[in-house]
Amino acid sequence: MAADWEEIRRLAADFQRAQFADTIQRLSERNCIEIVAKLVEEKKLDVVHTLDGKEYVTPAQINREVRDELYMHRGRINVVDLQKIINVDLVHVESRASEIAKSDKGTQIILGQLIDETYLDRLAEEVNDKLQEAGQVNIAELCKTYDLPGDFLTEELNSRLGREIQGQIDQYNRGVIFTQAFLSRHKACICGLFSAITRPTQINNLLNLYGFQENLMYSVLEELVKCGRLKGSVVGGRQDKAIYIPDIYSKTQSSWVESFLKQNGYLEIEALTRLGIPDPVSYIKRRFKSSKLLFLKSACVGRGIIDQLEASVEETISSATWVDLQPMIPSSLSEEDVGILLNEVLRGMNVQSSARLLSTCVVSEKFITGCIALFDDIMQQKAQKEVKNNPVFLITEDDVKQASVLLESSASSKKDKRDERRKKASEGSGSVKGGGGGGGNAREIRIRKSKKKGRREDDSDEETTHTSQGRNKQGDVPFLSVEEIMEVLGEKVCDSSEEMLQELAEQIQRPLSKMYQEVVSAAFMSTSSAGAGGSRKKNMKDLQEEINNLYNNIRLFEKGTKLFSDETQATIAKHVLKTVCTDATNVLLSFVAAEHMTSDSSTAITSEIRLKILAKLSDEVKSPLMKLHNSLNGKAIEDFLSCLETSAEECGLLLKKGDKKRERQALFVHRQALLEQLRDTEDPALVLHLTSVLLFQNITHCMLHAPGRCVPHIIGFLQSKIPEEQHKLLSQYQSLVVKQLVVQGHGMEKKSSLGEGAQESPAVSDDVEGLQKELHSLTSDIKDIILSQRKPSVTE
Amino acid sequence: MADEATRKAVSEIPLLKTNSGPRDKELWVQRLREEYLSLIKYVENNKAADNDWFRLESNKEGTRWFGKCWYIHELLKYEFDMEFDIPVTYPATAPEVAIPELDGKTAKMYRGGKICLTDHFKPLWARNVPKFGLAHLMALGLGPWLAVEIPDLIAKGIIQHKEQQNS
Repeated sequence: MAADWEEIRRLAADFQRAQFADTIQRLSERNCIEIVAKLVEEKKLDVVHTLDGKEYVTPAQINREVRDELYMHRGRINVVDLQKIINVDLVHVESRASEIAKSDKGTQIILGQLIDETYLDRLAEEVNDKLQEAGQVNIAELCKTYDLPGDFLTEELNSRLGREIQGQIDQYNRGVIFTQAFLSRHKACICGLFSAITRPTQINNLLNLYGFQENLMYSVLEELVKCGRLKGSVVGGRQDKAIYIPDIYSKTQSSWVESFLKQNGYLEIEALTRLGIPDPVSYIKRRFKSSKLLFLKSACVGRGIIDQLEASVEETISSATWVDLQPMIPSSLSEEDVGILLNEVLRGMNVQSSARLLSTCVVSEKFITGCIALFDDIMQQKAQKEVKNNPVFLITEDDVKQASVLLESSASSKKDKRDERRKKASEGSGSVKGGGGGGGNAREIRIRKSKKKGRREDDSDEETTHTSQGRNKQGDVPFLSVEEIMEVLGEKVCDSSEEMLQELAEQIQRPLSKMYQEVVSAAFMSTSSAGAGGSRKKNMKDLQEEINNLYNNIRLFEKGTKLFSDETQATIAKHVLKTVCTDATNVLLSFVAAEHMTSDSSTAITSEIRLKILAKLSDEVKSPLMKLHNSLNGKAIEDFLSCLETSAEECGLLLKKGDKKRERQALFVHRQALLEQLRDTEDPALVLHLTSVLLFQNITHCMLHAPGRCVPHIIGFLQSKIPEEQHKLLSQYQSLVVKQLVVQGHGMEKKSSLGEGAQESPAVSDDVEGLQKELHSLTSDIKDIILSQRKPSVTE
Repeated sequence: MADEATRKAVSEIPLLKTNSGPRDKELWVQRLREEYLSLIKYVENNKAADNDWFRLESNKEGTRWFGKCWYIHELLKYEFDMEFDIPVTYPATAPEVAIPELDGKTAKMYRGGKICLTDHFKPLWARNVPKFGLAHLMALGLGPWLAVEIPDLIAKGIIQHKEQQNS
């Protein structure tokens, strides 16, 4: 019973315990989180929940865990890793970590990593091990292996230099740490290497070759050079192209340059470059500041040579001769440089006006004048000859202008001469060739055009000369070719070299040609101006007369032609066109040419020349004349006549259609002329020709102008018109003439065209002499036919 | 009968077996033992469910019980003293729980602060004699009464929250 009560009591106690022992309030998880959040929000509680949301952690706990982890990770841990381990938000880890770094002296945050002193110490030890092993360590490499920023690493290592790290940092390049042993080894290497160098060497090459540390190398090298251990200098700073030049080399170099200049009086820039002087010109300028050197393209020349040259030039001028300076000039100078040098010398002496430079020769002006004077005689002779030869005068408008300008300006303005000299170089070769080739044919002479006589402004003259000189070539009347001039010079001016002669000849060819032109034109003027150029008015009248005569004759000839059969007519017409009409055209053309430019009518004008003249005429005159020219090649005389009329009109000539009286006069004149000719001639063919023509005129009162080959036709025509015996005589004479021609087997072309007649009398065969005799006896009879008729015909 | 939570709580309270009152000397002890076990279990259950709402103790004989009960309303904890005697006819008759503090403040109360239990309770108790014990009395009687009456009384301003009774 008591035990039961005891149990009750115990139970009561249990009950109480059950009620009181566990009085801690149970909260649902949700509530709990809310409560904590509220508390945190109200800053009454400072806890952080883990990322999985299962735990709350106090900052102190985080702090402790961070420290523990740092220790566990041997003094270096990434904050991100920390966050994973501690499993709270990164923000808290970071703030804790930075707090630790702030509060703890030996700990710091680098690149998001928490690092403490022990780690750095251990790192320094490692670095030291490496350093002792390799002699040097590169901080950049360390940065890579340890994944730490260079500045930080440098600083940390710096503070441990001498303690944990037995070595030193390069003063110039803070990225390298090396041991003293390494340094001295390096220094010794460099010292040895550079002591051995005797010529400029690219330091870069050495670096690559011997594997030196670049920066260390430079600093050591500078130190060694500065303290005088190495005799030499570093050029080009610390860059790739830095060059070490040993003193011994530069000394040798400069002594060579000096001695070369002293010995030879000049320096080749090329040679200096070969010696390895990088900027020779400035080097020379620096080296020889005091001596006045003349700088050329590829060399520089000392005062000595220049003086020598000047002296010889002076001598040349004073003695009025020439001198070849080539031997005095260093042979190694290029042609261009020689030119520059000589020009420089001449300019320096101020003697351009009294001396001329021909390649390497200096010729005094007096000498040249002398040379030109040599040609006076030849020129006069040649000019006379030229005028006598009656050259074709083909003149272009430009030529005229140029001629006048040349004439005016050749009044010898010095300026012009200088201009020419300047141009000579470019023209030289061309004019030589053109002059040589053009000497033979197509001669041109220009005469001053009277219309353009008016004085021009001086400067405009200058311009014209400029432009026209550029394209001379054709416009010149060549006097002598360069070769010819050379020949003459060679005779008179002995002991000169071939080249010198050539140069000289080229020099004086132009002035000679010009003078020659003057001489020729003067000569021409003196001969022709009296006749042709004298009075234009008279000239015009004469011309009109002449044209009119020709015109009328042609008309009369045409009339005569009409009496023949068609075939013969055509032949005769062609003949007329080819002879008389052509003459008329030529007369007209030369008149026109004279009108529009200066020309002379006296020369034989061929078809080509006509065309040439035509090409130069103005358009309005050109077209009718062109037509006229073309009609010459036609068949009808009428066409020609009409063309002639329009052309003449265009040219301002009056063509009078002949009246009866005039016609008769013309007939008479023609007849007289033919008779005259007949009387004088003894040639049987011509006699026959003239006789038949005269007979024709007597009978028909028409003029006839027929080619020789038409003679049989004429005789045939005459058969019925003249007495029997006369005709017989003619026929006989004709057959004899034919025979003679056949026997001769050849003859003038004109006569041989009588071939048709030859066939008519093949039977006749006599020896030549007999034939001659027979012909001779008949000739007078034939002549008589006409000459006896003369009287009655006159009375007609 | 009461809500789901209450029903669940009740179902977890161990039922009693001994049908004896205070007068039965030996059997009462047995009954009392069962009462205690069932109470302990109930309290433990309550605590586990974060629903601890009373403290109870008895005299030596287990015939008179007293303690505290509380109710939390709008984050305020209202605590009341309570007491009751085991009737002679127990367990056939349910004990009458009294909260003297509230005497005269509410209609659902008899003289002396005895709470007026619902009409459901008595038949329920009667049906379950002797299986229901004191734990059931608390869970099915006092608990629901507090849940109904206290908020009402507070709303009427009859009960004022005593200071320093914050949870």
